[in-house]
Amino acid sequence: MHRQRTDLGSPPATVSRRQLLGAAAVGSTVAAADMNRLSLFSQSGLAGEIARGDKSVILLWLAGGASQLETWDPKPGRSTGGPFAKIQTSVPGIEISELLPKMSQRLNETAIIRSLNTKIADHGGGYALMDTGRRSEPGVEFPHLGAIIAHELAQRESQVPDHIEMYTSTEGRRKGAAGFLGARYNPMFLTDSMMPDNIQRLEAISDADHADRASLQQFLSQRFSRDVPHPAVDSHNAAYGRVRGLMASDYLFDVDREPQSMRDHYGPTQFGQQCLVARRLVEAGVPFVKVARAWWDSHGQNFETHRELCADLDHVMAALLDDLKQRGLLDKTLVVTMGEFGRTPKINGSLGRDHFASAWSCTLSGCGIRGGSVYGKTDEDGQTVIEGETGAGDLFATIFAALGIDHTKEYMLGSRPIPIADFDSFPIREILA
Amino acid sequence: MNWLLKRLPAVRPARSALAGAATLWVLGFCLSVLLTSRVAAGEPATATTSGVSPGAGGASAAAQRLAGEIDAAIAASQRAAGIEPGAVVEDAGFARRVTLDLAGRIPTTAELQAFLDDPAPGKRRRLIERLLTTADYAFHQRNQLDLLLLARLRRDGAWRDYLLQASRERRPWDQLLREILLPEREQPDEAGAAAFLRHRAKDLDALTNDTSSLLFGINIACAKCHDHPLVVDWEQRHYFGMASFFKRTYTTRGGSVAERFEGDVRFTTIYGEEKDASFMFLSGARVEEPAVERSDAEWKQVRQQIKEAEKNDQADPPPLPAFSPRAQLVDLALEDPRRYLAKNVANRLWARLLGRGLVDPLDQMHSENPPSHPALLERLAEELVAHDYQLSHLVRAIMISDTYARSSRLADAEPPPPEAFAVALPRPLTPHQLALSLSLATRDPAALPGPAKPSDWEQQRAAWEQRAEGWARRFEIPSPRFQVPVEEAMLLSNGTEMQQDLLADRSDRLVGALQKQPSVPEQIDRAFRAILSRPAEPAERERLAAYLEARRDRPVAGLRQMVWALLTSAEFRFNH
Repeated sequence: MHRQRTDLGSPPATVSRRQLLGAAAVGSTVAAADMNRLSLFSQSGLAGEIARGDKSVILLWLAGGASQLETWDPKPGRSTGGPFAKIQTSVPGIEISELLPKMSQRLNETAIIRSLNTKIADHGGGYALMDTGRRSEPGVEFPHLGAIIAHELAQRESQVPDHIEMYTSTEGRRKGAAGFLGARYNPMFLTDSMMPDNIQRLEAISDADHADRASLQQFLSQRFSRDVPHPAVDSHNAAYGRVRGLMASDYLFDVDREPQSMRDHYGPTQFGQQCLVARRLVEAGVPFVKVARAWWDSHGQNFETHRELCADLDHVMAALLDDLKQRGLLDKTLVVTMGEFGRTPKINGSLGRDHFASAWSCTLSGCGIRGGSVYGKTDEDGQTVIEGETGAGDLFATIFAALGIDHTKEYMLGSRPIPIADFDSFPIREILA
Repeated sequence: MNWLLKRLPAVRPARSALAGAATLWVLGFCLSVLLTSRVAAGEPATATTSGVSPGAGGASAAAQRLAGEIDAAIAASQRAAGIEPGAVVEDAGFARRVTLDLAGRIPTTAELQAFLDDPAPGKRRRLIERLLTTADYAFHQRNQLDLLLLARLRRDGAWRDYLLQASRERRPWDQLLREILLPEREQPDEAGAAAFLRHRAKDLDALTNDTSSLLFGINIACAKCHDHPLVVDWEQRHYFGMASFFKRTYTTRGGSVAERFEGDVRFTTIYGEEKDASFMFLSGARVEEPAVERSDAEWKQVRQQIKEAEKNDQADPPPLPAFSPRAQLVDLALEDPRRYLAKNVANRLWARLLGRGLVDPLDQMHSENPPSHPALLERLAEELVAHDYQLSHLVRAIMISDTYARSSRLADAEPPPPEAFAVALPRPLTPHQLALSLSLATRDPAALPGPAKPSDWEQQRAAWEQRAEGWARRFEIPSPRFQVPVEEAMLLSNGTEMQQDLLADRSDRLVGALQKQPSVPEQIDRAFRAILSRPAEPAERERLAAYLEARRDRPVAGLRQMVWALLTSAEFRFNH
């Protein structure tokens, strides 16, 4: 169950796509300059070998908090239900909101959790809880989900990025942090541009000079680290050692490399295009990509807001799952869809729903998940969880279990053990494959 | 005796009948400290005659004695462990290290050269003394205090200005403690001093734990939900006792910090028992709140005034209660200052200068995590209190010790355990150290001053600080598990600022200045001195000469690339 991490000092037991890409990226500047070889990998005889390797997570983050009643846990006909109906899905007995018609036909790969009770209903606190899997504590900087996944699933010297966060909107922009795992695992954060900052070479220096300059830097820097061995010094050289490889992976962020039909498949929205980038990234072996869609914070006009945002979510999430499945990537890619909390069943005077963390929903799709399952239950008005209460720690434990990571694994912070999923949390076996 | 006069108001305010006794005790204690420290310092007149920090000459005799004690304690532990201390760092390395530690930047080429050329004995001591009196010291001290107390949470300009002024005046540590924990009483007209509390005021846990960790060296967050599982010292009542001192703290709409007249902390044990917390310091010492008779009308009025101040930024300043829990906390901390307050700051200064605390981690000062050198830590704390809480006394003593002057180079030896302090540990530059050093290193070295500074150096340094801000914000703050993030490597590799500003082909930049050098070896040597603060070694010179030779058709590009490679080398990124 516990994932064996490859010892960087010894030859890897199996060839991973990350290593292949990395070797190509650093081994030769010529190869690094022309790195669009993904299709080559997926069609070569190596593909099957590689496919057994690495797992990835795509987190679709619904910033601001989406309404469970307009998505995964509808209550039509009740005073809390709002105007939208529920529809039958491809899985007998499971009904979701009519605002998600495409997803309703694709629930076979998806598990719904309807019983999140996470208690914290302010944006900052809810975000911290749902992105670290535990309550904040002064004096300890807990790592965010992406950093944990990168730490567990990435090669330390990975030549592809391993923790990416993309935001479509200025609202709800919050940058995840690696906390005590160390800045090596901080996210590459994309906001205004589809391309990460500083990933491309400036015109002022030729590629050959850029590479030679890096070798010169390495020569000087390693003379120092030989004399003064220290993990922090090593991290400096490791960071610079990754630069050329990361630059060589810039094409992963370039959706123009996809055929128009594929771009159309994801649709013209920024969320759609970013999810297409996310697929390109996980295909290249990037272990964690977060795509945040904002702004779901519908204190007023909840139903108009959800009519618009759910259409985008429905289309893009369905397109992503289809594409991943068609490429054989869904078995090793876990797609998590959630925000910092849900929304109040009670409809307020502005036809809005407010923050609500005591009975809300999220979904898990793909890798390690028993598709077509529903876990937990809320009462008929959606006010309380009446079955299968689930906390943030349990959700994290489930995510780790789905990826084959031991959820009881501990990080040691001095003498204090910190399990990667919070103490006393358990994976939801019912929705695991 | 300026410092004596300034010292007295800090203990003046008597806040309540009950606090009175403690205050008197503290006052008496401080007077006795003043007397003993004068005797200990030997030359009490230096402070007034030199017009700089107390005792540039007199205190240095005491610092010399303390440095001897440091070296004796460290040597004894090394002998006991069978560890040979490393070599002493060579002059150029010493100059770089000391300048980074006192001025917060690398030395200029002229400063370095003047130091290397100085044939007279005792030049290391003189360099330390000189740097302690330059304008740079206060800027660096300000940046360090900000990093310790607030920078991880928030950037606050007024707070940084306040810290700079405090650092310029060499305000003693106990006074800083009073000012940042009691801003509404000690610094009512100073918005900056309140920032430590203001940015935490909405979060009682942050107030409680940050104060406890940063000022007293004790992270008690683990004791919030249950008695500490590993440390018998820390029970829930300690956590909530500390929280009690902050429970009444709030911010007004206008942004000042104040206290309510009421508000107590209750907590639930793991057995479900509800308890009232008392005003209890980490030491276990408590204070009782004196009973105060107030009519309903008086209560109503006070609450109304506070409510108004919370709502309306034009409201009158809210009334301050006679019984101030935070003032009680300060008094309790100063009752036995060596135990927590002084020990914590001594440990943090030690870690700042030597790369690791005598207690490590820094916020785990408790019985289960003893110091590597307990008696030495006690002595440092004692000396700090005896020397009027002047941090520069400890800084000076540590920096003139042999322990501080070890080389970081291991050659091929196994690294000794870090707590042996047998070799210098590499320390990542802080964001400001790195940003300032990048700026300085890439200027025309001839345009930068040597040890004698122009009369407007303070303004110049302020301008350097200003320019460094943009860079500093993008660099990682040092932490126990510090790692250089790849974003930094990408920024410095491909960012436009590096190419267009630091590496600009202009006469006021290093790249421009190097072009005027008559030969390649001189270009290389000048770049090494400007950036790495040392001459190039033969293997480096050879490699770089070949590199530049291969770019004879594009010499400026070659120089830029050489400068870049030196700036981004690990050697530049660390203090070592």
